[in-house]
Amino acid sequence: MKQKLTHAVRNLMRRHQRALTTLVLALRNLTRNRQRSLTTLLAMVVGVNAILIFGGYSHDITNEMQTDFVQRSGHLQIQRKGYFLYGSGNSAAYGIAGYEKLIAALKNDPVLKPMVVVATPTLQLGGIAGNFGAGVSRTVMVQGMVAQDQVQLRKWNDYGFPIAPRPLPLDGADPQAIVIGEGVARVLQLCAELKVPMCDAQPKAADPAANDAPPDLAALSALEGPAVHNEATRIEVLATNVHGAPNVGSFTVVKAEQQGVKELDDVYVAMHLPGAQRLVYGREAPQVTAVIVQLRHTDQIAPARARIEQLLAKDFKDAKLDILDFETLNPYYGQTNRMFSALFGFVFVLIGAIVIFVVSNTMSMTIYERTVEIGTLRAIGQRRRGIEALFIIEGAVLGMIGSALGVVIALVISSAVNVSGLNWIPPSRVDPIPLTVRVWGEWGMMVLTFVGLTVVAALSAWLPAKGAAKQPIVDALRHV
Amino acid sequence: METKPAVVIENLNKTYQLDNVQVPGLVDVSIQIASNCFTVLSGPSGSGKTTLLNMIGCIDRPDSGRLLVAGQDVSQLSDDALSDFRARHIGFIFQTFNLLPVLSAYENVEYPLVMAGIPAESRRARVEQLLNAVGLMAKANHRPGQLSGGQRQRVAIARALALSPALVLADEPTANLDSQTGSMIIHLMRRIQRKYKVSFVFSSHDPKVINAADGVFNICDGRITGFERINRNISA
Amino acid sequence: MFRKFALIACSLGLAAMAHAAADPKALLVASDAIRNPTKSFVLTATLIEYRAGKQTDTNTLAIYSKPDPAGGQYRTLVRFVAPARETGKLMLKNGNDLWFYDPSNQASIRISPEQRLLGQASNGDVATINLARDYRAQLTGEEDVTDGDRQTRHAHKLALVATTPEGVNYRRIDLWLDTRDARPVKAKFYSDSDRLLKTAYYRRYRNELGVERPTETVIIDGLDPSWVTVMRFDAYAWRDIPETWLQRDYLSRFHPE
Repeated sequence: MKQKLTHAVRNLMRRHQRALTTLVLALRNLTRNRQRSLTTLLAMVVGVNAILIFGGYSHDITNEMQTDFVQRSGHLQIQRKGYFLYGSGNSAAYGIAGYEKLIAALKNDPVLKPMVVVATPTLQLGGIAGNFGAGVSRTVMVQGMVAQDQVQLRKWNDYGFPIAPRPLPLDGADPQAIVIGEGVARVLQLCAELKVPMCDAQPKAADPAANDAPPDLAALSALEGPAVHNEATRIEVLATNVHGAPNVGSFTVVKAEQQGVKELDDVYVAMHLPGAQRLVYGREAPQVTAVIVQLRHTDQIAPARARIEQLLAKDFKDAKLDILDFETLNPYYGQTNRMFSALFGFVFVLIGAIVIFVVSNTMSMTIYERTVEIGTLRAIGQRRRGIEALFIIEGAVLGMIGSALGVVIALVISSAVNVSGLNWIPPSRVDPIPLTVRVWGEWGMMVLTFVGLTVVAALSAWLPAKGAAKQPIVDALRHV
Repeated sequence: METKPAVVIENLNKTYQLDNVQVPGLVDVSIQIASNCFTVLSGPSGSGKTTLLNMIGCIDRPDSGRLLVAGQDVSQLSDDALSDFRARHIGFIFQTFNLLPVLSAYENVEYPLVMAGIPAESRRARVEQLLNAVGLMAKANHRPGQLSGGQRQRVAIARALALSPALVLADEPTANLDSQTGSMIIHLMRRIQRKYKVSFVFSSHDPKVINAADGVFNICDGRITGFERINRNISA
Repeated sequence: MFRKFALIACSLGLAAMAHAAADPKALLVASDAIRNPTKSFVLTATLIEYRAGKQTDTNTLAIYSKPDPAGGQYRTLVRFVAPARETGKLMLKNGNDLWFYDPSNQASIRISPEQRLLGQASNGDVATINLARDYRAQLTGEEDVTDGDRQTRHAHKLALVATTPEGVNYRRIDLWLDTRDARPVKAKFYSDSDRLLKTAYYRRYRNELGVERPTETVIIDGLDPSWVTVMRFDAYAWRDIPETWLQRDYLSRFHPE
């Protein structure tokens, strides 16, 4: 038994001795023409860096975007079936009754408890905001929210970006406070009071040729007193209630906040949830249009969703509720992700093509220079496959060293960028944030690049190696 | 000399394509080369001696005819089988030495042994024996770039003998050496041939090589024109 | 003796009449009848809009109205007559459904409640609303009130509260009816949150279709009192309005005679 083992080990070593020798040969041959090897390595290092730094950058962008979305709209939202697709014109018809019970169930469930950070209700409705003293109004999208919960939502930063949570002006403000987008503030002519930039108050000039109102009407009008407009920042919000009747509320704007995306900024109004509920439901039982759930980590979406589905099927069967994840709610995220994946794939293919050219060129040259050597090896008994293997391994070793060096240098460069303190403003954000490139931690990407380019380098050597092995021995030996 | 011949050739023909012109390389060659002898193929350049040597060395195939090397009919062997046959039974010595420049003298001699899968212990014994036989043990760790022409050829000789081949073939082994070194190499090869009882087949027009031979085949224009016995192999 | 008895009887009768006239429900019904004809009718409406003291818009409409036999809200087909760019456009109001039809591109679209928050669509029911069925009336007293011609009138003040939240646009209405003849003088319309949405003055009383009716309504917006709309109604006529006219699918084929 012991003999069999030593025999087996010896056989293994014997077989591997050949491989080891080929490896040693490959390594030593690479040092023969230092300049050529270094140039090839440099090309590979640059290529690997291009892939990894672009990949790290795009990962950071999507992670930043994800962080933004998760801060604003959580990981999952529970809504009435159909609200997402059809509810934007008629949010009152898709209200969730008894939402307090639902939120309590979510918070107390033993499976969800360790995963859920925030579970908060929101009410969204379309309405008209008006500064009627100035005679201007605008259709707006009103978000009713629980300020304390929203502050908690904004703290989420699972990817460790060097950012501070955005302050919520509604937090701690009185119940009639609202926050509007800068676009809304401009239309409502509240620029001066809210310190909105890029704004020259353009009051609608009355047509001078128009007739004056008859004096009796003017007098009747005057009987009503001035427009409801005592403070500079007080505005009215008109909305239709759940029965279709008009309802109006009076609110004080505490801040005009840029929303990043112009289309959103032009219609954004945020208020405390009770105020929004009074507009839509009046004295009836208040409802909400969504329950936002934020988890600790994004990869918990699947188990959390499964558990919530269980809960809904058990206790809330009649409520006809749906669960949507943040990707469904923000198609922009998936689109951006896909765009970056496509770009990454394109960059990878491009770099791969360059590596093919560079390595196969290097290998062709080295093979040409070693024609006599190849003939000699064949003469002393090396098989064709052995010659091929020799050069493929040389290509692979070149690829491995180049890729490894590239990965190390990419880590150095990304670290340098991350501590450099450079800033930039990503699209759909308003404030500059530190520029980061995420390479450390992206193990999958690094391994894929390393293995991928090594394989590409080995394959690039394959064709020239085949050519080398095929040539007639006498021609090779005769080569000058 | 009554042992089986090292090489048996019958009606060997080979023609070359040279820019659409057929050039005869070997024409109807039939010879037998005795084993355990120092045999030389002699003739002017272009006579076909190198071609014939290549046939014997199984690094080129004839167009027609029969070829037995060390008793093996090599005409039907596949490329891989031929490679293995060469590794096991034929050693090569080249005019330009053809050592692997990235390997030391020791490693160059060891290379055929590694290729054949010989275990480490046996390899070491063999390499040391061969290097001592050619007197270069002291330079075992030197790379070919650090050796003189004569030293390189000696390493080549050691390498050629690594797997105890039946045949050692050399094409103009002294052509790149000065006359003194060349003589030394010839004497070394002669000694080794006698000691290891290997069949040496050379192609050369160097008179010193011819004088050291046991037998000489004369070739001209692709035909064997004659055979001369020069020395008797004492130990045959 | 007999004369004294007759006087007492007459005064008692008058007192009884006055008491009967003070029943808020009866007053409400009476005021509805003054404003709205009881059978299908047609009239021409001229709308003049004023903003911040200047006239901004004028529209002439032909309005075909058919009352709901159950006493609910009228169903109305409105045809734009002037200005020229609006001619031929139609609006169909059926309960809480409002449809708009444009003959130039043959498109009919439903106007949602959100889209009716501003503009003339929000003024629609103030003039034609039928109060008795959907509101519960309470008499809160008598007071002097300025009417649409800035004259003082003595009026019953009725506080109306919607009996059902479905289908009514104003939860609460303050209505002033002249004590002499239950003519509506003024009304204030309030939202669910108790905010004043519209103030209306009913004036220019003329005899139309057998009753003295307010042929002009002045509507002042509650949120922006500088926005005033004057609706003047002329050319009242009884008219049989075929059911097909009040169907949305018929809009594209409608042809006034």
